[in-house]
Amino acid sequence: MSHQAHTVAVRATGVDMFFGTPDNQVVALKQADFEARRGELIMLVGPSGCGKTTLLSVIAGTLTPQAGTVEVFGQRLDGLSQEELTSFRRKNLGFVFQSFNLIPTLSVIENVMVPLLIQGRPYDEAHDRAAAIIEKVGLKGREEGRPNALSGGQQQRVAIARALVHEPPLLICDEPTSALDKDTGAHIMELVRDLSRSPERCVVVVTHDHRIFRFADRIAEMEDGRISRVVDDPKLLDTTHL
Amino acid sequence: MYRLALNMLFGDRAKLAMLLCGLAFSALLMAQQSSVFFGIMSWTYTPMVNIRAQVWVSDPMVEQVNDAKPLRDTDLSRVRSVDGVAWAAPLHTSFVQARMQDGNFKLITLVGIDADTFAGAPALLTQGRIEDLRLPDTVIVDEWGASLMGRMGVGPDGKPRSTPLKVGDTFEINDIQARIVGICKVKRAFTGGPFVYTTYDRAKGYTLGARRTLSFMLVEPQKGVTPTELCGRIERETGLKAWTSDTVIWNWGERSLARNTFWWFWTNTGIPFSFGTAVLLGLFVGIAISGQTFYSFVLENLKYFAAIKAMGAGMGVIARMLFVQAFTAGLIGFGLGAGMAQAIGRAMIEKGMPPFVMFPQILWATFALVLGISFVSAVIGIIKVSRVDAASVFRG
Repeated sequence: MSHQAHTVAVRATGVDMFFGTPDNQVVALKQADFEARRGELIMLVGPSGCGKTTLLSVIAGTLTPQAGTVEVFGQRLDGLSQEELTSFRRKNLGFVFQSFNLIPTLSVIENVMVPLLIQGRPYDEAHDRAAAIIEKVGLKGREEGRPNALSGGQQQRVAIARALVHEPPLLICDEPTSALDKDTGAHIMELVRDLSRSPERCVVVVTHDHRIFRFADRIAEMEDGRISRVVDDPKLLDTTHL
Repeated sequence: MYRLALNMLFGDRAKLAMLLCGLAFSALLMAQQSSVFFGIMSWTYTPMVNIRAQVWVSDPMVEQVNDAKPLRDTDLSRVRSVDGVAWAAPLHTSFVQARMQDGNFKLITLVGIDADTFAGAPALLTQGRIEDLRLPDTVIVDEWGASLMGRMGVGPDGKPRSTPLKVGDTFEINDIQARIVGICKVKRAFTGGPFVYTTYDRAKGYTLGARRTLSFMLVEPQKGVTPTELCGRIERETGLKAWTSDTVIWNWGERSLARNTFWWFWTNTGIPFSFGTAVLLGLFVGIAISGQTFYSFVLENLKYFAAIKAMGAGMGVIARMLFVQAFTAGLIGFGLGAGMAQAIGRAMIEKGMPPFVMFPQILWATFALVLGISFVSAVIGIIKVSRVDAASVFRG
């Protein structure tokens, strides 16, 4: 196995994805190629409708592409059944959503426990691990409160804690700072960047927010359903159309 | 996950309250209406409860206990001669008008029992002695009847008030005096009239010498002979109809007169239909309110269920979460509804109206139906969640 194979966390090759009927087809991804490395925070950027979210969904195994291959930490996703994809997500993926998606009727700690309970971990074990990670994201003392009682930044911290509590290798963040102010967004991104600094982890962030581009190791720009270029330095991007 | 599912349910108190209201109301309606139905139906065979004997013999054409077709007095001797009969006593039952001292008339159920054996006499007298029925012109009136037939007067507050009849008071049946020598406690009847007990011979007098006054015969089997066995023998040897007297609805046999009376009323009256409609209404209201509320609960939580799906929960886990939520609400709703039905029932029993009999089977059936409502609600939610695409969580 080559050195490159060891360093690649996510690889999508020649991915096609379209929606609708053959008569009225909307092409979301067209021969899209994408690669993310271990220990890296990579951002997917591009104008609305360019296919960022679709590519993220394909990588996450929530959408199955019509063509192409997707490999995440050595596991080919194409050809897996729905049950196998569900099981794959359960073990390997952590999600941070744009609107947090914290369940308002559950406490902070219960929200964080969800991925562990989905894995079938005992309640007490899930509780202890959730408490530990809540402390790590700086929300000790807020465990029993409801998410609605927290600020936007604190809610996103809870979402990050929930995404990481089961220690998934791949963290997927969909517009993690869109609902946050500049400073809070920066704090959250610092936290996410720190988390990505492990050879066993990779963070993929979809964003429109050019204020956070500086936290990326690489930025993949999308256009018309495919990656148009990948840059190391955000200054090289033309952000006017993003 | 089930604990979290419950916390999700209990966390939304407004929805939970609405859900419980629907389920509790449904359970209340189903349990209460069924209990009143069985209460009313139990009144149809009240004579079987109030006049106790192991075997009843009637004309072959009799279909139910309130439909007495008079027999000849000689039939009594024929029955007494059947092998296995320990004793047989005559019984008269009829509906007659009684005239009160204030001139008012009341319809009564006149019961004439054998003066020698007092077979069929009321089990409990609250005033007087059964033996006093042997005195001339005497009757025993039931407690509720004594109050219904009471003397109208004016109370200290100036309002009209009825004073219940008591031992020593008199009234008239077909212009013949009836003097009360006892007050008894018996079960009220579907026909509504008070029970007035007298001797069989005096009952003949009160009915103005009708040609045939023998309504039924009360028979006791000899030791070692079962009532069912004796019924067969009586029917074979006399051509009359013989019935057992089981009144326990879940255990009565095919020969039970109470059972036949129950089914006669079931078939020939609109009672089952009207109460059945109310029970069905309770079921539909339950499904509508609970289904709708649970569906709206699921809709409100849809994006969270989608997120849970994206995080790797299979539909099996989510379906079980929804079942846990729906069945928990069902259990609590049933408890509240059945509790309210019990409380209303107690109040009814104290008032005596309307009749209320809550068999454990009614509670079990209500429980099963409420769980059915919960099941339907959960399935509606599961269908909705199963159609949600996990990828939808990325669409903001």
